[in-house]
Amino acid sequence: MILGLDVGGTQTDAVLIDAGRIAAAAKIPTSRDLLATLRTALEAVLSDVAPGGLERMAFSTTMTINAIVEDRLDPTGMIVSSGPGMDPAWFSVGPSYHVVEGCLDHQGFEAKPLDRTGVQNAASRIIKEGIRILGVVSKFSVRNPLHELQAAKWAGDAFSHVAMGHRVSGTLNFPRRIATTYLNAALYRTHKNFSDALVQILKEKGLNGPRYLLKPDGGTMDLDKSIQWPARTAQSGPAASVMGALALDGCKGETLVLDVGGTTTDMAVVMDGTPLLKPLGIRLGPYRTLIRSLLTHSMGIGGDSEVRMDPKGNLRIGPIRKGKPVALGGPAPTPTDAMIALDLLTVGHRNAAAAAMERLGAPAGWDAATTAERTLQTMAEAIAASAKAFIYNINSRPVYTIHEVLADRRIKPGSVLVIGGPAPQIAGYMEKALGLPSRFPRHYGVANAVGAAVARVTSEITLQADTQRGSVVIPEADVEQAIDQDFDMEQAIALGRTALCRQAAEIGAHENGLEICITEKQMFAMIRGYARTGRNIRLRMGIMPGLIPGWEIGG
Amino acid sequence: MLRASRRTGLVFFPAFDWAISPTHPEREERLLYTQDQVLEEGLLDVDGIIEYRVRPAAFEDIQRVHFCVPDEESVATESHLIAAGGCLVAADAVLRGEVKSAFALVRPPGHHAMRVVHGNRGFCNINNEAIMIEYIREQYGIRRVAIVDTDCHHGDGSQDIYWHDPDTLFISIHQDGRTLYPGSGFPREFGGPNAQGMTVNIPLPPQTGEEGFLYVLEELIMPLLEKFEPEIVINSAGQDNHFNDPITNMNFSARGYAALNARLKPDIAVLEGGYALENALPYVNVGIIMAMAGLDTSFVKEPNYERDYRPQRDDITQYIKDLVVRLRDMFLEGHLEKAACKEGLVIERSRDIYYDTDHIHERQHEKIRCCNTCSGALSIASTSNRGQHILAVLIPLGACKECRKTGLAWFEKAIRGAYTHVYLLDRVRGVYERT
Repeated sequence: MILGLDVGGTQTDAVLIDAGRIAAAAKIPTSRDLLATLRTALEAVLSDVAPGGLERMAFSTTMTINAIVEDRLDPTGMIVSSGPGMDPAWFSVGPSYHVVEGCLDHQGFEAKPLDRTGVQNAASRIIKEGIRILGVVSKFSVRNPLHELQAAKWAGDAFSHVAMGHRVSGTLNFPRRIATTYLNAALYRTHKNFSDALVQILKEKGLNGPRYLLKPDGGTMDLDKSIQWPARTAQSGPAASVMGALALDGCKGETLVLDVGGTTTDMAVVMDGTPLLKPLGIRLGPYRTLIRSLLTHSMGIGGDSEVRMDPKGNLRIGPIRKGKPVALGGPAPTPTDAMIALDLLTVGHRNAAAAAMERLGAPAGWDAATTAERTLQTMAEAIAASAKAFIYNINSRPVYTIHEVLADRRIKPGSVLVIGGPAPQIAGYMEKALGLPSRFPRHYGVANAVGAAVARVTSEITLQADTQRGSVVIPEADVEQAIDQDFDMEQAIALGRTALCRQAAEIGAHENGLEICITEKQMFAMIRGYARTGRNIRLRMGIMPGLIPGWEIGG
Repeated sequence: MLRASRRTGLVFFPAFDWAISPTHPEREERLLYTQDQVLEEGLLDVDGIIEYRVRPAAFEDIQRVHFCVPDEESVATESHLIAAGGCLVAADAVLRGEVKSAFALVRPPGHHAMRVVHGNRGFCNINNEAIMIEYIREQYGIRRVAIVDTDCHHGDGSQDIYWHDPDTLFISIHQDGRTLYPGSGFPREFGGPNAQGMTVNIPLPPQTGEEGFLYVLEELIMPLLEKFEPEIVINSAGQDNHFNDPITNMNFSARGYAALNARLKPDIAVLEGGYALENALPYVNVGIIMAMAGLDTSFVKEPNYERDYRPQRDDITQYIKDLVVRLRDMFLEGHLEKAACKEGLVIERSRDIYYDTDHIHERQHEKIRCCNTCSGALSIASTSNRGQHILAVLIPLGACKECRKTGLAWFEKAIRGAYTHVYLLDRVRGVYERT
């Protein structure tokens, strides 16, 4: 049996899956105490299960994102070296940020050695401030990790945890590398405490199976191994819903996925079962990072959003949530009240909902039913407009080769899949607003927990080989080795594959025959003065988000 | 968060799948390291720097500028169309007011492509800037345009296209033609009879440094722009004046390019040449983008700057000062020795043009009608050693009645002549014809 648990902003869902089918589900309100919430949800869904019967557990939590948003980050020292370009002072993070001399160029050649005394002075100042967590980042460290390795070494052994930039991602983006390294360092203790406490709860309950955390890229990672990468567990909620959509529906063709929640609607595009990824990485609070993430967009309209009428007689919905729907004792009319007034949903006080609709529509002279109908239409139209803008933006992404310009591949969803609490009520309205067939799956209400439960481990590596410099680097996997002039694409792919499989196994991918996808593959002849002097190979490969073996679509 | 004080559009098209030939400087790898540097700096995350997706230009866009021999398909590959289209995207972004300025970082370049195109000259087939300018005039009704060509090579293609146009001020600052391809661009080339003084060539001596470029900018180019009052300023931003460039002999730097851009503040910059692809372009382009966005560029510097950059020699400083005095006298103090331009007079000239990349020899015979109200009807007879013998007639935008009549008469006569093709571009009616 498999357990999936998703902690959302207002609701926490848990599901139990047995032999590819949903055997039990529970929904509880999320409280401020995350561990208490987890414990309650576990108890609710596991009431009939013998301990030890779980072969796998996966959690999508709000631990790290809450720590970021509420600014509960550990004091972390940063030592950064940059070379020419933007002023590194612009990217200052944390209470003790130090820039030292040293420069690597874009090929990874050392243009200026790292200033050893500078590193040592910065480290002693950080230590003097009582800080024991350190992040080291240099520009182009993904091409050559030398300066980061040196800085980590020269900073001494007074630090309890040191995070290095080249390990967080192989993508080029120095400011994001700084922010991502900082977050991984500054969340280390918080995440470790959380992980220890969760492990303790699981132990108490006698649950000893492999345990995973969901990541924003829709993949999972072994809970115990996540200690090194706490920032990679942040903001996995939208990924849980996309993976849930995939698990419950399969999402053949080009599918627009809408997760309609209480206060927001999240959207994503799935292409033949593979969700689209963000080009660089997720934004966590004020930090732009290199953490791989599904491409999702969140807008401030949900079932509990406030509905009001503007002076021109147009209905406006969200982004504010005043509280529960009127039918449930709330202060302001909501789309949920509209559903109740139209008898699409039976919950709470129908009369209160109808009265609220009547009051809302009175200035325009509409009755309760008309107002309710228009509320749901307006909601669907607003979501549709946002979805169209979302798709337009995806299609406006720059491309860099003639082939891509001429192929002019555009995304054009052929259908809509709606999940989340109000999915059955809103799907019909979405169909009209978008002019696309819309559907909702069984188990639409606990899609997120299902998504967490059945998401497989994902991982990614980037490889750059430069035969002129005579080196190949896979920063995420800590690979750096000398190569000769003949190193070619075939060897690069083999090396990348090995590194990727090793890395995936390390974070919990135990199945055989991992599905590896090459997402970027470029080779350039390097010419200096009309003569060929080398080749430059760039590869990016990964295990893409997908479902664990044995899961039956639909549950 | 880091914010651009001027909203800046970026159109990046490195054409990673196109080269003139495998070892040619204009090859796939050219903008690879620039892209690496731009991405690593995180420039695209700066609030107010917006990257746009390219689109290919249409043949119609080319036909506003060029007479392609025998036709557009034969001289412009997909890559050329996309590079030109990238400039149109940049122009739209600026003219629709989405950004304050834009940089089209596209390849292949275009500023050696002339009005008549038989093939590739100086790595160029079609003129990206001219295609963009004529698009802007057509779409946005703008008339007065200034081009400041800061490529190390004389922008002879742009000069040729705007030679007769009194509404386009073309300024080219380049390494002296006696020492570098294409061997033209001297002060005495100052425009055709209807546009005298609208072409300004500033040939600088080899080894001109930061000081010299910025001096010429301040003392000559800025006053010329103030006097002309253009509605829009285009920078043909070649980057081969760099001290690391392998095919030129100048002594400019990334910080110099950044300073030049910050002072010139072009509305649109278009990449031209620049072949120090690993040790100049990455830094120069980062400098230009940052300067356009109004960011402080004092940290932009080549890693080998301290070791390899030499301050400008005193004799060069003196030479440039003397040159600027002479050019100010010609172009700002009104001492240009203009040729007589009597209304209705037809002036003719002949010349030979060599296409270095494609090894084509072209012989041109040009006729222009002197006119005090418009750019004048233009006719070009062109013969190449590939067996082409064409005649092309241009009736320019805003042509007067007399010039239109003259142009149409020339065309009528030519279609009865022994040409392989006869072309008519009537910008007044928006017609392009080829027989």
